Amino acid sequence: MTEGDEQTLIINMGPQHPSTHGVLRVVLVLDGEYIVSATPVIGYLHRMHEKMAEIRTCVQYMPNMGRVDYLNPLGWNWAWVGALERLAGIEVPERAEFIRVITGELNRVSSHLVWFGAYILDLGAFTPIMYAFEDREKILDLLQPISGSRLTYSFFRPGGVATDVTDSFLKDTLVFVRYMRDRLPMYRDLVTDNIIFRKRCEGVGVLSLEMCRKYGATGPVIRGSNRPYDIRRAEPYSIYDRFDYEIPVDEKGDAMGRYRVRMAELAESLKIIEQAVNQIPEGDHIVKKAPKPRWKPPKGEVYFAVEGARGKIGVYLISNGDKHPYRVKLRSPGFSNLSLFGELAKGHLLQDAVSILGSLDLVIPEIDR
Amino acid sequence: MVAGTARGRRQMTPAWMEGLNALCKCRHDFGKTGITWGLFLSPDVMVDAARRLFQAGFFLEDISALDSANGFVAVYHLSAYSGPDRLALYVIIPHNDPQIPSISAVYSGALWHEREAMDFFGIKFIGHPDPKPLLLPEDMTGHPLIKEAENRAPLKDLLDPGEIVERDPDFLFFEESNLPTEESKPEGQ
Repeated sequence: MTEGDEQTLIINMGPQHPSTHGVLRVVLVLDGEYIVSATPVIGYLHRMHEKMAEIRTCVQYMPNMGRVDYLNPLGWNWAWVGALERLAGIEVPERAEFIRVITGELNRVSSHLVWFGAYILDLGAFTPIMYAFEDREKILDLLQPISGSRLTYSFFRPGGVATDVTDSFLKDTLVFVRYMRDRLPMYRDLVTDNIIFRKRCEGVGVLSLEMCRKYGATGPVIRGSNRPYDIRRAEPYSIYDRFDYEIPVDEKGDAMGRYRVRMAELAESLKIIEQAVNQIPEGDHIVKKAPKPRWKPPKGEVYFAVEGARGKIGVYLISNGDKHPYRVKLRSPGFSNLSLFGELAKGHLLQDAVSILGSLDLVIPEIDR
Repeated sequence: MVAGTARGRRQMTPAWMEGLNALCKCRHDFGKTGITWGLFLSPDVMVDAARRLFQAGFFLEDISALDSANGFVAVYHLSAYSGPDRLALYVIIPHNDPQIPSISAVYSGALWHEREAMDFFGIKFIGHPDPKPLLLPEDMTGHPLIKEAENRAPLKDLLDPGEIVERDPDFLFFEESNLPTEESKPEGQ
């Protein structure tokens, strides 16, 4: 059966489809219930962030980073300030690094919680998203007083972070870590061990390591295919080498494998947060001579990558010494992860396409940029 | 890191670099730029280079481009799973005929990255199976990241070559002599 055959049916999934999380359109050619070909059509949320970088100054570009990926803005904050700091050779105070790790990992937990709730919702179960959002709400309440926003944080600054954290924030964070740790067994009993859920995920969308490499998949997608590739270990940045944590992998490579990796990462992130809160030193939260909005970076090219909630976030920055960047390229993990969907979905049932899309953890604004 | 004297290390080029036919090989300081090697390639060796690097275990991170006074520069970033290692492959192509062979047959991930570069810069990737706009509307004309001619900076102001290990005698972009830019070239050359 091939495309264009009289037996096939072309259907359009999206752009306004609840399981496409934002506005993704997938053109599906079906033979009965089976997918002959699947073509993602993206660009509905394209805002040309790379062009905006060229008309703003390096420091003014910060708020854009909160809006590229609304579920993991601190990952993008980090990639941008990391690129500027590497370019200009700015040393970040130790306390600021700890604040970055604590807030960055809290943001990873909140991102994974939204993914968890939305994924189960895609598969037809309504209740888990209510639990996940209740827990995520606590993280938003923690981050709101220090960053001033609940969703699109622009909290990091070149040379540190915008505000210092208080002792009560640290205390509340520890309370949250203990609370969240107690919730994870409940998630396991409610969802992970649920037979209906498992039948929708196990053996669906098996992704080989070879295919991950061909498409440049990163993050939980490649770790679900049994490759412990994590930028926090592979290209160490900040102070991640001081903490004790595992890189969860799953050998099966199916949707369930990617699910398990993310659920295990929740526990690992909590471990990192707890250690960071207990070790945080006194000191400055930002360097004394932090770049001002009209600051001119030195000439040069620089690449900085961090491990976001969805994989490798990369910022490639070229500066000609002007206060505006000459060129900025944003490497979003979701872009590469989604590009393999067409090949992965072939031969699956239509209902499995929903399961596969969800297991890739798509955030469309990040893909379209 | 293999033990050895600084001098011994400097002369060493990795095994995968053999046969890539690079015009210029530049060693960077990863701590300062996030790149370990910068290699300038001519467009016609691109597919062969991609195939060799794929066999050597690299994966494609992204393809970007930039607009300089010396032409468009397509930049391919490749990385390895084994550790901090990033290659930047640069392909310099003229503004009036920006063409590069597509590497999408080797790295399927390039399918979308190349379409993005087509959208933003109008670079043509020869042999791309589906050269449709990806992020921009299909009826849009123009390419948003192309700069006005007077705003283009020469390549040597944009890219720091680091330590040039090997260089083709005709590759002069980082030489002190003022290389004529495309615009200042007399007509008919």
